Amino acid sequence: MEHPILFISIILEKLGLPIPHGPIGNTLLEKLCEPYMTYTWFVMIFLVVVGKLTLSNIEMIPGKGQNFWELLIGGMYDFFNDNMGSELTEKLFPMIATFALYIAVGNLIGLIPGFMSPTSSINTTLALTIIVWITHHIIGLRAHGLGYIKHFLGPIPVLIPLMLPIELISNVARLLSLSIRLFGNIMAKETLLGILFMLAGAYFAPLPIMLLGVLVSLVQAMVFVLLTVVYFGQSNEHAH
Amino acid sequence: MAKLSTEMIDLLGNYGHIGFTFVAAIFIGLGGGIYLDEHFFDGSTSPWFTFIGLAFGIGAGFKSLFDILRTPAARTKDKDPEG
Repeated sequence: MEHPILFISIILEKLGLPIPHGPIGNTLLEKLCEPYMTYTWFVMIFLVVVGKLTLSNIEMIPGKGQNFWELLIGGMYDFFNDNMGSELTEKLFPMIATFALYIAVGNLIGLIPGFMSPTSSINTTLALTIIVWITHHIIGLRAHGLGYIKHFLGPIPVLIPLMLPIELISNVARLLSLSIRLFGNIMAKETLLGILFMLAGAYFAPLPIMLLGVLVSLVQAMVFVLLTVVYFGQSNEHAH
Repeated sequence: MAKLSTEMIDLLGNYGHIGFTFVAAIFIGLGGGIYLDEHFFDGSTSPWFTFIGLAFGIGAGFKSLFDILRTPAARTKDKDPEG
């Protein structure tokens, strides 16, 4: 569904850049100017600028901005530590925390009129999911070497011909379910908000959905990160 | 309230994706079977790999279901023995 107003797209159009009118552009420049791309850059710039503004001078007694980040980062660090062990957390904390912040801000930004969630495009969520999926295999291979294949062979050697396809299918299903769940939830929120804005925007009809949208955005970001951590932890531990 | 909402998020995170993972596993199995039939063997084995793939997909769905049920229980057991 086409969004009613996307202000970055309008600005870019005024600057003379080609904005694709379908979901996907034809030329490289059109592809770069797709709304989910521009809003991805917007979220990235937002995170960098806010981080820079609040953390430019770190003090022993934290102020407002530093307090917020310490609470958030500290909470996430403890959560990862509990769920996948300190060794993996040391290595992978920056990546997963960046995913968490990016997904949370990307989901929430779609609630403001004139903005769009970059995560409501399957391209964004699939990209994130492929990174997570490949990383969890790399973690497994590094932790166990070739013995990592035991994760896919099931408990009993006789059952290997049965268990190998089942395990492989359920592993690939992670890729699908992780990406499509985030995409589906956020796209549903965006589409519903857009339709309600067009139908009865003057009567504040989208307000209750916006309230639910805050919940959905935060919960989906949480779920993505939780599942990422669980997968990393699983591929790191020994096969049953 | 805070305890309730963290518990809620934990439950949603652990069990909220049961349905989707189940369906995704079935569709991947079915899709793999159809691909083997139609493109790898050019339709000469037509219904067979589809059904085999479907069976493996359903098996994988149930297997991921059991995994989902088993993993959080194991995690909470490790974390606090009383709870």
